[in-house]
Amino acid sequence: MPAETHVGQGPLDRAAILDLVRDRLADILEIEPGAINEGDSFRDDLQADSLALIELVEAIEEELSERTVGFRIDDEDLEDLKTVRDAVDYVVNRLG
Amino acid sequence: MELVAPIAVDAMGGDFAPGEIVAGARKAFEDGIPVMLVGRPEELGDVGDIPVLAASEVIAMDAEPGSSVRKLQDSSLVVAARAVKDGRASAMVSAGNTGAAMASALLKMGRLRGVGRPAIATPIPRVGMQPTILLDAGANADCRPEWVVQFGQMGAVYARYRFGVANPRVALLSIGEEAGKGNEFVKEVFELMKAVDWAGTCGSTFMGNAEGRDIMVDVADVVVTDGFTGNIVLKTLEGGVKAIINALLAAFDTDDVSRAAANDLMPALLPLYETFSPDTYGGAMLLGVNGVCVISHGSTRATAMRNAIGVAAEMVQADVVGHLGAAVAPAG
Repeated sequence: MPAETHVGQGPLDRAAILDLVRDRLADILEIEPGAINEGDSFRDDLQADSLALIELVEAIEEELSERTVGFRIDDEDLEDLKTVRDAVDYVVNRLG
Repeated sequence: MELVAPIAVDAMGGDFAPGEIVAGARKAFEDGIPVMLVGRPEELGDVGDIPVLAASEVIAMDAEPGSSVRKLQDSSLVVAARAVKDGRASAMVSAGNTGAAMASALLKMGRLRGVGRPAIATPIPRVGMQPTILLDAGANADCRPEWVVQFGQMGAVYARYRFGVANPRVALLSIGEEAGKGNEFVKEVFELMKAVDWAGTCGSTFMGNAEGRDIMVDVADVVVTDGFTGNIVLKTLEGGVKAIINALLAAFDTDDVSRAAANDLMPALLPLYETFSPDTYGGAMLLGVNGVCVISHGSTRATAMRNAIGVAAEMVQADVVGHLGAAVAPAG
């Protein structure tokens, strides 16, 4: 189910969401955003463990909740997010 | 650094919560430490004049940490961690689910910049001197080599500000003192640790490897390892010390002569018991998060909780988080 109401700022396009995911992930993993590719696997390419992914999810939720009321990533969906692309697609769909 | 806000105490966490936790908080409050209890107000009993921050949920001791913290946003642990982040509390103390305490602190307070992963720093008692700091004592079962190097830097800062060790000696836990000893992981960590400017980054000295037998004697002030090994070391020591104490008590009670001798020895033995009791140190500090988080043993009773709250207050006043941040800050 898409999140509820957009507030304050305009909707984010896919490129902006990719930037957001990349920036937050770079902060968490202490690497440069440019070192993160859309096709990277969280676990195999970026060595991000489950706690790092939860950090990412919380960071994305915090950022997007300022724009979109009720934005939340369901825990049940987390295991399907294997790559950066998966996460971006998921957020795009939820915001759509 | 003054306490500008109270210490948030997770009143619902621990095997003897909330009764013993509230009792410990009351002792601390009576000793002049500002405290705030976090939990279900209707279950806390007589809290005296201590303010209560209501939290309707509780994370069970055996709950899976990450998902619990995500789902139970109104749990006492999460509310306590959020209070620190929001500035309503100076620090948090919990005797609840260790993994969930770490996850709450990590997700709500955030990590210090430059820290790969927070680690649990546990004081291991030594006779006649300040304890050895063992870390990671269980926060990260799997570690990257560079995280363990940071554990050493953070442990050195902690040893200085918690126990007054001017130039802490840092060692890497291995199966031999020589540089080449250990598994591949330990050897990789060793090489990284050898390259660090210990004096410059955290005013300490890298001693090389230490063995398990070195932890409770005067060899190093900080011993680092991964969280899996560290937790096994911690529990082995706890179990070993407890077994020895029980064996001694049984021997003292063998016959009248032994009982009389034990009575004579008791004045000398009681201080030793205090040295080895986990209650004395109150708890372990989670190093690397952006706030003070003290995690106590699940079996914490009032005295240990009082001491854990005292440690939290001291660490806030010493600005240990600021010093940790400076020690691990990325260059530039």
